[in-house]
Amino acid sequence: MAAPTLLSLLQSCKEQKRVDWIPQFLNQDQAVFLASFVDTILPRTETPGALDMKVDIFMDLMYAKAYDEGSQQYVKTEIDKFNSVCKDEFGSVFADLSAEDKTTVLKKAEAETAKFNPGVWGTAVGEQKPVAFYRQLKSMSLWAYFSSEEVGKNILSYDPIPGEYLGCIPLSDVGNTWSL
Amino acid sequence: MANFNIDAKQEMTYDAIVIGSGISGGWAAKELCEKGLKTLVLERGRIVEHVTDYPTMSLDPWDTELRGSLTPEQKAKHPKGIRSGFIGSMNEHFHANDVDNPYTEVKPFLWVRAHQMGGRSLLWGKQCYRWSDLDFEANLKDGHGVDWPIRYKDIAPWYTYVEKFAGISGEALGLPQLPDSHFLPPMELNCVEKHVKERIEKEYNGRNMIIGRVAHLTEPLNGRGKCQFRNRCDRGCPYGAYFSSNAVTLPAANATGNLTIRPFSIAQSIIYDDASGKATGVRIIDSETSEVLEYHAKIIFCNASTLSSTQILMNSTSDRFPNGLGNDSGELGHNLMDHTYRVGAMGKVDGFEDQYYKGRRPNGIYIPRYYNLDEQTKSDKFVRGFGFQGSGGRAGWGSGSNQENFGGEFKDGLMKPGPWEFFITGFAECLPSHENKVYLNKDVLDKWGQPTLSINAEWGENELAMNKQIRIDAKEMLERAGLQDITDFDNEHEMGYGIHEMGTARMGRDPKTSILNGNNQVHGAKNVFVTDGACMTSSSCVNPSLTYMALTARAADFAVSELKKNNL
Repeated sequence: MAAPTLLSLLQSCKEQKRVDWIPQFLNQDQAVFLASFVDTILPRTETPGALDMKVDIFMDLMYAKAYDEGSQQYVKTEIDKFNSVCKDEFGSVFADLSAEDKTTVLKKAEAETAKFNPGVWGTAVGEQKPVAFYRQLKSMSLWAYFSSEEVGKNILSYDPIPGEYLGCIPLSDVGNTWSL
Repeated sequence: MANFNIDAKQEMTYDAIVIGSGISGGWAAKELCEKGLKTLVLERGRIVEHVTDYPTMSLDPWDTELRGSLTPEQKAKHPKGIRSGFIGSMNEHFHANDVDNPYTEVKPFLWVRAHQMGGRSLLWGKQCYRWSDLDFEANLKDGHGVDWPIRYKDIAPWYTYVEKFAGISGEALGLPQLPDSHFLPPMELNCVEKHVKERIEKEYNGRNMIIGRVAHLTEPLNGRGKCQFRNRCDRGCPYGAYFSSNAVTLPAANATGNLTIRPFSIAQSIIYDDASGKATGVRIIDSETSEVLEYHAKIIFCNASTLSSTQILMNSTSDRFPNGLGNDSGELGHNLMDHTYRVGAMGKVDGFEDQYYKGRRPNGIYIPRYYNLDEQTKSDKFVRGFGFQGSGGRAGWGSGSNQENFGGEFKDGLMKPGPWEFFITGFAECLPSHENKVYLNKDVLDKWGQPTLSINAEWGENELAMNKQIRIDAKEMLERAGLQDITDFDNEHEMGYGIHEMGTARMGRDPKTSILNGNNQVHGAKNVFVTDGACMTSSSCVNPSLTYMALTARAADFAVSELKKNNL
């Protein structure tokens, strides 16, 4: 009876994931969650993934420097909650789930989470229903990815000084969406 | 352009003093200086030199640590202003500090302020529309407020005069309710805007959708460059392509050699001499040293911005004017107006998937007023009218937040532009109401121990009735234009969100009911002129800044001619 227990203990030590950077705000478990989350939302394909763009490191920086205390606490609480739901329903924290289970978890979150109202000139229009943490996190991941220098300059169409406005041109002349 | 003369220590007496350096103050300075008057501009904030003092003008998101996000410390300086949705780290330095400069919202009111040289001319929306006699005659015809002491013919040549120098791009249409300006070439509509325009104009007789008329150069003018379509205007434009005091009027004033500008100078009050019945100068507080100083001049232009100008008049008490300068009528502080904001509709436009655009156009479309123009267009629900602004474009990667999807294909799909979207949002005229007012609050003092303003104003029935109609019409127009997934909205914003504060020291024909006469002279203090938004007798439904420019140039011309005749 002792041997398997020891083995599983060893395994769990071995599998205890860590990030290879020092978070300014999140703890290790939360940083591991975030890395896994952004990698699932925006994985590497022919174009770089969220981890290639250090989206998780930037989000940690944002939490540290752009969030007030209340919002910071909210982030930590919600990440921990997300992990504990994964544990309850699938047996382990998000980062340790199989790819299939991760997809199931996120699909469920997609379906359950209210959407952002559209905005006009800096403010949302209509009455905004509360948007749960999942979509806030996804939205921030997208922003952190698409506002990164590599994506903004070299993948999206970058033109800091267009010099003119042309109202109707073939999309093929531009290619990807404008970055700015 | 550099080397503003900021040495106001030597000389305490000038020909003219201008309080404030925003859109109207900049014009007053230019006109008075060009007419040969030694002019002191009192600016409550710091000097902002064109280009040199635009630190963020060319920054990309990734060039700053937080990619344009505000820190909690920055947010803490703007607890009120941040409600506008317009403050970010790229322009935060051009927004006033709400903590040092408190005001009291008796009813919710958003007061967006900019305390530096150039004021809100650095931040404004740049939409420029002439008023018409429909506007100038409105009060007389329907009995709300008092009659304007001027008509379109009085201001028309001054519109032309300021437009030629400011540079207004747009398309001439010949609409009586929206007179054409002296135009630079219009900006272009994109494919979908052209499509929606055709549909709306076909569906509705007498309804127009046009490119916005804006104070952006589409051709070089007087050494200023044309718009480069970066849409980073609120950081300051390195080309001087949009109209601001910093890029346009103050350099012109400076070039005469007659300008002195004194920064960090809070105009506390205008000094009135009971014996001569004239103002003799302006009392200021140096915001850095708290020193109180008095500057003297023959002419004073008060251009501190609508509510601040009124606050200065209220502070300017004397035996003759115990209730504030020019306030025999008791109307000082009353009749505060704005435009309603954030009521409209948005939707998607099918097709045009292979079409796109180049450039970030700092401008959108405009749908001019179409109600209450004549008997046929009369509404039985409200008086006056409203217009719409809006624009069309393709969704970007941000639309991914709401897509029920994630993963590699999702990510790569967001690299391509999304569906075409189009929105319109209404701006309704606000009636002048005596009940909508500001007054001095001696219980809440600012950083310099001065009384602050309490604002007690709210939309009336007429504005709310128009907002209802705006929402109905916006939705219907988009439906009839063939849009899909239409969302109509009314954010029910309080007054102030339009950032078009007007009134509180209105022009009028009768000193018993107004503060200023038809030349913007204060009743009973004829060498004091107020030509910013405070002077407005009604609000029209179009953006007001162009009218402030024209009224200022007109009043400056009058002031100098009166001075030469020894009438001031």
